Amino acid sequence: MFERFTHPARESVVAAQAAARRLKSERVGTQHLLIGILEQPDSVAGRVLTGHGVTVPAVEREIAAALARAPFGLGDAEALGAIGINLDEVRRRIEAAFGPDALRRRSGKRGRRGVLSGHIPFTPRNKKVLELSLREALRLGHSYIGTEHILLGMMREGRGMAMLVLTRLGIDQDALRGKILDELREAG
Amino acid sequence: MDTAAELANGLDSKDPRVGLRAVSALRRLLEELEALQVTNARTHGWSWQDIAAELGVSRQAVHKKHAARRGLLRRDC
Repeated sequence: MFERFTHPARESVVAAQAAARRLKSERVGTQHLLIGILEQPDSVAGRVLTGHGVTVPAVEREIAAALARAPFGLGDAEALGAIGINLDEVRRRIEAAFGPDALRRRSGKRGRRGVLSGHIPFTPRNKKVLELSLREALRLGHSYIGTEHILLGMMREGRGMAMLVLTRLGIDQDALRGKILDELREAG
Repeated sequence: MDTAAELANGLDSKDPRVGLRAVSALRRLLEELEALQVTNARTHGWSWQDIAAELGVSRQAVHKKHAARRGLLRRDC
């Protein structure tokens, strides 16, 4: 599949790995892929995102805010709540005994080893996004996969942290999709 | 963003996704609590044997899993 990727698309995937490492994440999530795309400012998606005022620092700020709200990952508090475990209460008691931030994700042998060795795996959702980018390219009749297809795939998947970040930055997805298609029409 | 709570609102608790997400979240919480408590026990001078006994696992298992974390090895070396 990667053989169909344009140079900026490949670079965005490589940059996503680097972003995940920089942000000390155990997995490469859609939010890191979003940063990877932003770091290709001359690519179609990079240009469109920048045009909408999306910047790497702004994205990183929103990622940090999201993690502060849900250090165990988005949805974990709700998931535990569904079986009667109040994560906030667990955290409150642990922090009362061990101090602030005592309970946050920092264990995980596999993750730690991954961070050290340099290889950080993609989240299943992010793999899905890359699959969908291929589908978006096919749908548009393109024989290559560019950053624009990755961004369209990300929006099509719709539930990753990247989408949460873009929503919180006030980005309208329909407008973003429309702008990408406009750019492609102008270029084509 | 579909959260388990949203799912739980619309579906009965036999929905596999709700249950599996809870298990997955619980596993992350468990791992974190274990790391925290093992670190605390080591700080209090507990031996790996004592920690393993409380956790109900072998000394080798707990050592293999936790000793690599920074600072914990020193007591052994």
